[in-house]
Amino acid sequence: MSQKYGIGDMLPTRKLLGDTISELADRDERVWTLSSDCGGNMGTFIQKHADRFVDDGIAEQNAAGIAAGLALSGAVPYIMGMAPFVTMRAFEQNRSAIAYQNLPVRIVGYVAGMTTGGGSTHYAMEDIAIMGAMANMTVLSVSDPLLGAEAIRASLDAPGPCYIRCGNGKADPVIYAPGSVKLEIGKGILAREGGDVTILTHGVMVKYALSLADRLREEGIGVEVLDMFTIKPLDEDLVCASVGKTRKAVVWEDHRTEGGLATAVAELLLEKKIMPDAFERVGIPQVYPGFGSDAALYGKYRMDEASVEQLVRRMVKSGCKES
Amino acid sequence: MERQALIKELKLLAVEQRRRLIALSESYSGNIHLGGDMSMSDMLIALYHYGMNLSVENISSPDRDRFVLSKGHAAVSMYIAMSLKGFMDFEEIKRTYGQLDSAYGMHPCKVRLSSLECSSGSLGQGLSMAIGMALMARRRNHGARVFCMMGDGETCEGSVWEAAMYAGSAKLNNLIALVDRNRQMMTSYTDVPGANMNLEPYADKWRAFGWHVIVVEDGNDMEQLIDALDAMKAYEGNQPTAIIFNTVKGHGISYMERVLSWHSGSVTHEQAAVAFEELEKERMNLQ
Repeated sequence: MSQKYGIGDMLPTRKLLGDTISELADRDERVWTLSSDCGGNMGTFIQKHADRFVDDGIAEQNAAGIAAGLALSGAVPYIMGMAPFVTMRAFEQNRSAIAYQNLPVRIVGYVAGMTTGGGSTHYAMEDIAIMGAMANMTVLSVSDPLLGAEAIRASLDAPGPCYIRCGNGKADPVIYAPGSVKLEIGKGILAREGGDVTILTHGVMVKYALSLADRLREEGIGVEVLDMFTIKPLDEDLVCASVGKTRKAVVWEDHRTEGGLATAVAELLLEKKIMPDAFERVGIPQVYPGFGSDAALYGKYRMDEASVEQLVRRMVKSGCKES
Repeated sequence: MERQALIKELKLLAVEQRRRLIALSESYSGNIHLGGDMSMSDMLIALYHYGMNLSVENISSPDRDRFVLSKGHAAVSMYIAMSLKGFMDFEEIKRTYGQLDSAYGMHPCKVRLSSLECSSGSLGQGLSMAIGMALMARRRNHGARVFCMMGDGETCEGSVWEAAMYAGSAKLNNLIALVDRNRQMMTSYTDVPGANMNLEPYADKWRAFGWHVIVVEDGNDMEQLIDALDAMKAYEGNQPTAIIFNTVKGHGISYMERVLSWHSGSVTHEQAAVAFEELEKERMNLQ
């Protein structure tokens, strides 16, 4: 299927993930989906597997609890919904009904970060922090719609619960040549190689990081881009090898600068006694952002490609002075 | 079994259930939730020994009935009821309860104790899990019922009503909610003038959410509980059933009844001796 697409094609991730779950359900009786009034892209699944689809209305806590009960009866349930609500409203059910019992529930949250433009009630800015804090919970972040489908397939038999973080999901660009990236839960993706600066990023920001790396390469600046598809457990070898090499790290994410990838990377580097010459966090500061397109919001909080370009140039320059 | 003989046997088991609760409390250094343990003890005995199709023999069968203890703080009374059914050994429960690495603690932990259906303890979450189990049983045509035990105070939690609304809508007639209506929470009564939280009209709330409701006037009376379970089994409609059974918190131990502080406590040797005497008197009266 992926052969049909190429880099730059815009795909509806939500529908793609829904169709992929439906394909899994075709051959695996364990697969159920639950949605709290967010099943608009689950048409294929509902058509083919109506008796394994639960829409409990606008009630995310109940959906998480039902998913736990289904999993206790042998199901592999996928909860499909909006990232702020499937993580925050159902926090305690996710923690005590799902993660505590180490149940194979997959929580798929789209419109993560500030991608809805709907204001801070609808921004998932702390989701990685709260989901990652739960023992047993795997946290994934999807940068490419086709990889999102791969993540769904890979999740089917993964042990324990899993949170799959997605961007807006209505129309997302293919950023990797289909079939060129081997996706594995627990691993990051070495998306670009370079020797001057490492950008560690995930989800919607990866496309900007790739664009920046490709532009700077033409000037001879080597930007290594790590697409940290798995945020928890962190791919420690990949991070340490890259930052150990470049000694300059930018962690760039559509999440608060606390509690997300940046925090995980900083903790790791400190533990491994890898002290980079520069470590910069690019993300949402301690504010409740207002309305606006994601691009406008990224600009306001200096999370856009141009701002990070300035940052990278400054880091490279200061590195030259020192040497 | 002839009905009167059954009732007598179940009543004797309920006395033994309470005796074991007191014995455990006497030997354990910490507090246990004696008030709510005592209030639902008769219903637990009625369920495990009469109402539920669940035994040591069928514990691994998909056809078995499921029991979800949503009022997880009363776990010890579930362990004891299960010990009286042969699922576990009371002496082991008593010896290890609440100790480091024990399977038996204040709230049920399925990870440590696989014969349970689920872990629980955070109030208001059990009914949703029970719905998941009931959906799977219905889809696989197992004929299993799923029983979910809640405290009435617990049903202040909004998630209970999310679950109740869905179960009514989905017509999950294999789902049974059991509400231990003991009219006390940890710090207040729910049925006194000026109560912090007055739950009435209670049964009507469940009816409004699409449930078939059975109210047991005295939920510490074994005959009435058996009648209610018979009515539950005889029901052929498509609604889920809520059995609201009115109880006395601390029932069976005179100094505990309706006393707020016995929500959670620990008996002294002297208090235990009084309780054992009262229970023995009750047992003798039944013989």
